[in-house]
Amino acid sequence: MQKILYAYPEGSTYDELLTAAGKPRPVARALLQHFEKLGPEALRQRQETADTAIRAMGITFTVYSEAGNIDRSWPFDIVPRTLPARQWRQIEAGLRQRLKALNHFIDDIYNEQRVLDDNVFPREVLEGSRNFRAACRGVHPRFGAWANICGSDLVRDADGTVYVLEDNLRVPSGVSYMLENRAIMKRLFPEIFAMCSILPVDDYPAQLASMLADLSPRPSDKPVIAVLTPGIYNSAYFEHSYLAQQMGAYLAEGKDFLVDSEDRVFLRTISGLLQVDVIYRRVDDDFLDPEVFREDSVIGLSGLMRAWKRGTVAIANAPGTGVADDKVVYAFVPEFIRYYLKEEPILPNVPTYLCMREADREYVLAHLDELVVKPANESGGYGMLIGPRASVEERQRFAERIREDPRNYIAQPTLSLSTAPTLIGDHLEPRHLDLRPFILQAKDSYVTTGGLTRVAMNAGSLVVNSSQGGGSKDTWIVEEDA
Amino acid sequence: MLSRVAENLYWMARYLERAEDLGRFINSATLLLLDLPLGTRCGWDILLQITGEAQRFQQHYGQPTEKAIMRFLIADSRNPSSLLSCVHQARENCRTFRDLLPGEFWERINSLFLYVQDGLEKENIAEDRRARLDFLENVIARRHALVGLLVGSMSQNSAYQFIKLGRNIERADMGSRIVDVVSAVIPPEDQGVRRTVYQSLWVGVLRAMSALEMYRQYVGVQVRSARAVEFLLRDSKCPRSVRSCLADMELALAYLPNAGIPAEALRRTRRRLDQLQLKELTPAVLHEYLDQVQKDLSMLHHTIENAYFRAREKNDPYPHPSLQRIALQA
Repeated sequence: MQKILYAYPEGSTYDELLTAAGKPRPVARALLQHFEKLGPEALRQRQETADTAIRAMGITFTVYSEAGNIDRSWPFDIVPRTLPARQWRQIEAGLRQRLKALNHFIDDIYNEQRVLDDNVFPREVLEGSRNFRAACRGVHPRFGAWANICGSDLVRDADGTVYVLEDNLRVPSGVSYMLENRAIMKRLFPEIFAMCSILPVDDYPAQLASMLADLSPRPSDKPVIAVLTPGIYNSAYFEHSYLAQQMGAYLAEGKDFLVDSEDRVFLRTISGLLQVDVIYRRVDDDFLDPEVFREDSVIGLSGLMRAWKRGTVAIANAPGTGVADDKVVYAFVPEFIRYYLKEEPILPNVPTYLCMREADREYVLAHLDELVVKPANESGGYGMLIGPRASVEERQRFAERIREDPRNYIAQPTLSLSTAPTLIGDHLEPRHLDLRPFILQAKDSYVTTGGLTRVAMNAGSLVVNSSQGGGSKDTWIVEEDA
Repeated sequence: MLSRVAENLYWMARYLERAEDLGRFINSATLLLLDLPLGTRCGWDILLQITGEAQRFQQHYGQPTEKAIMRFLIADSRNPSSLLSCVHQARENCRTFRDLLPGEFWERINSLFLYVQDGLEKENIAEDRRARLDFLENVIARRHALVGLLVGSMSQNSAYQFIKLGRNIERADMGSRIVDVVSAVIPPEDQGVRRTVYQSLWVGVLRAMSALEMYRQYVGVQVRSARAVEFLLRDSKCPRSVRSCLADMELALAYLPNAGIPAEALRRTRRRLDQLQLKELTPAVLHEYLDQVQKDLSMLHHTIENAYFRAREKNDPYPHPSLQRIALQA
């Protein structure tokens, strides 16, 4: 019988499922044995079944193109990514700690600004921040929690260390794929779920709903919660609709709301106006309220900021949270943990050079061929330079940009992202991946069990974003036998 | 339920019904025009009169030839009531509430749209009558499958009621327009020929509304004007009659909140429906009467719109003056 791992190279980087010697790690042993037993043909059939299920379930993201918007299924690989539960608990504690510190920072920045007075965070960075919203000064969201939903990207380097690569604090997406990926895997491989102890992921919508309910300014058993979506042409519309449905919340667009003269927010329903307590917004700050931010926004609602500041409605994430979703701020998170929590960071940052610092900048410019350079405020993998793979011209262009606007660039060493076996035709090949867990914080905090594993489907590629050739895998947190 | 979602459901149902009724009407008119004796003043432009699109047609086309009219009514995306536009808009509306309907619904409405798009590209629908008959019959059949899917697998919840409202108000409106064909045709003077013409016309109308067999069962083999009008507009044994549509809408409203004003508008429409004296029925009287039915339906639409799709703050004035009257009566 043909081996599905016949073409697997000896480890040049850390592999999540296999040791350097090419043996399955303990948490992946049962899985890989089972896959060998099934053989290439059966695996190919299950991959096809998965693809069909994804189309039938309508799991899509929207790609914008000149030919109009198309719904496209996101590639899904049937080989899961495994992590030992013991290791995961450590990561989970690190993520909670991080979000707690970030929320302290945001609350401080919009109120006392102690962090500036104590010279922990440079004032000029804040002044150069595109996502600092003066309109949010003096507001106190409940529990001091501004970022209620955070998606942090984790990567693992060749030596096995797990780093936090970035914290997405604005409107992080992807959690619906995590849930759907598990649903598909349970259908495809029920037998493996019976064989090993894989921790469940499906309480996320309930956790999200109860976190949002905790934010409600009106004490009641059943607060009215609305998911604010930009509408069907948004790339994450599927997720907005999925989460609203799972939580029993209203899925609403800006025009479905109105704010009355007493600064209360209402939904227009067939039974009349319905007062809203909590808005889970999936619209960026810029478009949230044309009265305060961009006047030309047609997807927000006029008066929302008035209502939020008066405390008649809660917004998750709070407006202005993006101030901490900045790669320069990211570099300070370990300091924030020490400063606000008086603790040592559990999860390390990737070493980061801030181009605004002269010494760092000189180093970055001299080592562009080794580093990854990123703009401070972009997401989705856009506008970055992967030094070792870039042409001389590309590096020159980046050097100019860095000199022009040093505040807006950071650089990091090129990590050799870990890989996991991925089904390519009739066998498994290594593909690079990352992991995006989702962290909730209000009265309590919660971390998804695992998260969304994104995988670069092209051989050797390090870009995992859905818009740029990425796919996803199910993530298994596996309890090892005692 | 959000007003926007309710409105999208309602309009999706209206567009689908309009597409089907347009298909029925065009097919039946094609057959009918072949039957009418020479000397009858009736051409293809009757299709424009009935659909109320004559003016828009003149903006884009010259002579009202069969080819031009068919292209305009079926395949022209500049005409918001063309079959293509209706199916397209129904599909776009459906995107926003896919999760409220049975899973296959979206796939089927999408496939209906693709069928229409491909068919219009491949076939010469405007000129080839046989291809057109087939094409429209297939559109009608696919639309029936959509309705069947909802009836068979959807809970009778609020979403369902809005679909029912949209379907029935459009059906009543299109039905009253199709009956109006009879008043639009001017037959020759000769009494004998006249009778044949009206006979053919009523058979055509009954066929367009899939009512010929039921008419024969309940009314008789001879098709006579007064009895046909009675059957097509006021008889609850005719499922597409205005009365049947109103009855369905009444049931839908009974399920929904805030139905006072629309329900009153509905009762008014029905009272007016009963007022026609069939004894002195001339084409002109019939036309005037049908015109009033359409106005009443349009008012009913506005009351639905105001009750459900335009939730306002309490002290906002009622937007439409004639609705205030109904609001006071309710």
